[in-house]
Amino acid sequence: MATKSKPAKSSGKKTQQAAATANGRNGAAAKKSASSPQSASATKAPAIQLNQYGIPDWRLEQPEFEVIEVTAGREVHYEIRGKLDTAVPPIRPSKYLSPDQHVELYRWMVMNRRMEVALENLYKQSKVVGGVYFGLGQEACSCASAYALGPDDWFAPMIRNQGAQLVRGFHARDIMMQYMAKSGSPTHGKDGTSHYGDIEKRHMVSPISMLGDLLPVMAGVSLGARLQGKELACLTWIGDGGQSTGVSYEGINFAAVRKLGLVLIVESNLWAYSTPTEYQVGVKDLANRAVGYGMPGVIIDGTDACQVYDATYEAVQRAHRGEGPTLIEAKLMRMKGHAIHDAAAYVPKEMHEFWRKRDCIDRFEKYLLEKKWLTPEQNQKLIDEVEKELDADREFAVNSPMPEPHTAAEGVFCDGCHNIKPKYGMPKKARGEGKLKASEAAIHFK
Amino acid sequence: MAEATYLEAIRQGLWEEMESDPSVFCIGEDIGIYGGAFKVTDGFVHHFGPQRVIDTPIAESAIVGAAFGAALTGLRPVAEFQFMDFIGCAFNQIVNMVAKSHYRWGAPAPLVLRGPAGGGVHGGPFHSQNPEMYFVHTPGMKVVAPATPSDAKGLIKSAIRDNNPVLFLEHKFLYRRIKEDVPENGHVVPIGKARMHREGRDLSIITYAAMVHTAQEAADILAKEGIEVEILDLRTLSPLDREAIAQTVKKTNKVILLHEDTRTGGLAGEIAAIINEEAFDDLDGPIVRITSLDTPVPFSPPLEHYFLPKVEDVVREARKLHSY
Repeated sequence: MATKSKPAKSSGKKTQQAAATANGRNGAAAKKSASSPQSASATKAPAIQLNQYGIPDWRLEQPEFEVIEVTAGREVHYEIRGKLDTAVPPIRPSKYLSPDQHVELYRWMVMNRRMEVALENLYKQSKVVGGVYFGLGQEACSCASAYALGPDDWFAPMIRNQGAQLVRGFHARDIMMQYMAKSGSPTHGKDGTSHYGDIEKRHMVSPISMLGDLLPVMAGVSLGARLQGKELACLTWIGDGGQSTGVSYEGINFAAVRKLGLVLIVESNLWAYSTPTEYQVGVKDLANRAVGYGMPGVIIDGTDACQVYDATYEAVQRAHRGEGPTLIEAKLMRMKGHAIHDAAAYVPKEMHEFWRKRDCIDRFEKYLLEKKWLTPEQNQKLIDEVEKELDADREFAVNSPMPEPHTAAEGVFCDGCHNIKPKYGMPKKARGEGKLKASEAAIHFK
Repeated sequence: MAEATYLEAIRQGLWEEMESDPSVFCIGEDIGIYGGAFKVTDGFVHHFGPQRVIDTPIAESAIVGAAFGAALTGLRPVAEFQFMDFIGCAFNQIVNMVAKSHYRWGAPAPLVLRGPAGGGVHGGPFHSQNPEMYFVHTPGMKVVAPATPSDAKGLIKSAIRDNNPVLFLEHKFLYRRIKEDVPENGHVVPIGKARMHREGRDLSIITYAAMVHTAQEAADILAKEGIEVEILDLRTLSPLDREAIAQTVKKTNKVILLHEDTRTGGLAGEIAAIINEEAFDDLDGPIVRITSLDTPVPFSPPLEHYFLPKVEDVVREARKLHSY
């Protein structure tokens, strides 16, 4: 029977350990992976399969279809071919989450979705500046992964991971004010959407619009903490589209070489703006790339909150042990367009319908009710409370002021406004009493 | 005070900062056991250990990204570009991730991006460029380009202590060609302040990096003809020392802007605009630009010689301006 240590047992890890021993470069990663955390509950879960590259696939269903480009007369469109009438898979029971944690996680997912509905309404009322981005269908992937982080860990969300921001301590009003470009938003109107962060308390690195650039940055956060004697898990997400960029490769490779605590969730959400995965990458499973990077990979159902949580949790523990990065490929579908302006008319209807039946919140809700970890009354109360909180946050955000125009000129440089010092402790000083010796060695150009 | 080359002076500054502040570390390609392509960090890994002198894959975006990430945890990374030409590979990371972070979300980025720039060593189109203007044009970046060993040492120290990203351009032509007495520990040169390299009353040459020495040679020749040239070494290209620029123009009333970077969109155009804004009434002649050609840096010595500004170009233009 498969256990949680399965992903760590991939051939990629062995290679990596051997390399690290040979060149002795792995810093604090010297510890063996002796620890084998045991299951919290002994719930029976179906066995985990390995794919042809030895990558564990935790899913309880492997959808068999593909999107192809079809030219019909004078029109080109996408069609989906394959099996679309299969039964909806159950939730894979979590090895780590307690019943209460299930409910708490469910609440974040509900909050995530309903906040985005509120954002959509604010947009329709012309209260939003610019567009709105949604993570519909990806709430489990955003919330359950962030929920698996330790208190000191860092994260860097992408545009569809607004749920992660809620889980990690931001409020709906922060996100609403970002979209409304308000003075009280985390960036004080300097940037919008999810483009904000906090290095003081919540340890969130702000994304930029260019995809993949967060990967080396999160590897660097882990590197910086390691210099200070701290092993952090640094969680970020990337799409099947975003991982096409060169900097993604650079960042993942650097993390693998240095065995840094990068926890990378590749959200294979099937559409990169309007381009289907089939026209984005040549591999069926992006997790296979873990083999090439020399790190463990795992495939999960991104609509199953328990799988997202467990896989992230294991990757986080691995990072805390200094054993290096993990690539988690979460399979799911982006259930709205790229942004609010995009009706996603290019998505075949049957495909949308297939994934709608696998909605992450509906299935999780049903699972909790069946388990009796949540009664229908409690569920209604939970939803009412979420709505109440969102109402209050919406009121607050709508009534908060726009920024003073002159502040546009402020803040380009840090002129002593920050007291910069190592967050986790001073790195070790020089080893010897040696002095600098002049170098007479030959140089590249005279 | 002891004599040091431009290269040794940078090494000293970097070493001293790493000694006094353990939050400073170096990251780059081949900087560890090999000591760097130009040996700036030669021997550093043995003294400071591989945790603070980190060799990376050949991946400039990863180098800058990782340096930025480490800076977010409160460290002061010094990232080396083996050649400044390769900074183009990390352009997005620098311009969009690093330079905008304080403005956008209040995260300071105290990192130094350093490495060899400039031509005159027959390095060809990809080992000779002067990439300063991409970054002078980027709000949030500071750009430094020292011309002397003392300034190189004092400025690398200031760059490391600065709370903002600083692009530190080392002119590779100068690495072992110039020497002078360099102050010991404690010597710091402020960012944003130009240096009066040579006083004169007849005309001013505003320049930086290796061209300071070209201007110096020209000034020696012109002095024999009775033309007293003032040379202002900018040292910092962003933010520019507007006051020093205006002052020298107000004093000599004639100005030559000299740089090794190519002409169109080069710093000379920006300085000319500043002079218009600050000292237009003080001009007694046209603002003269002397720069490289608007071409890639050619490889073959006679071609590169033709491409670069030369002492004779400066002498010729100075005579012309003097008699204007």
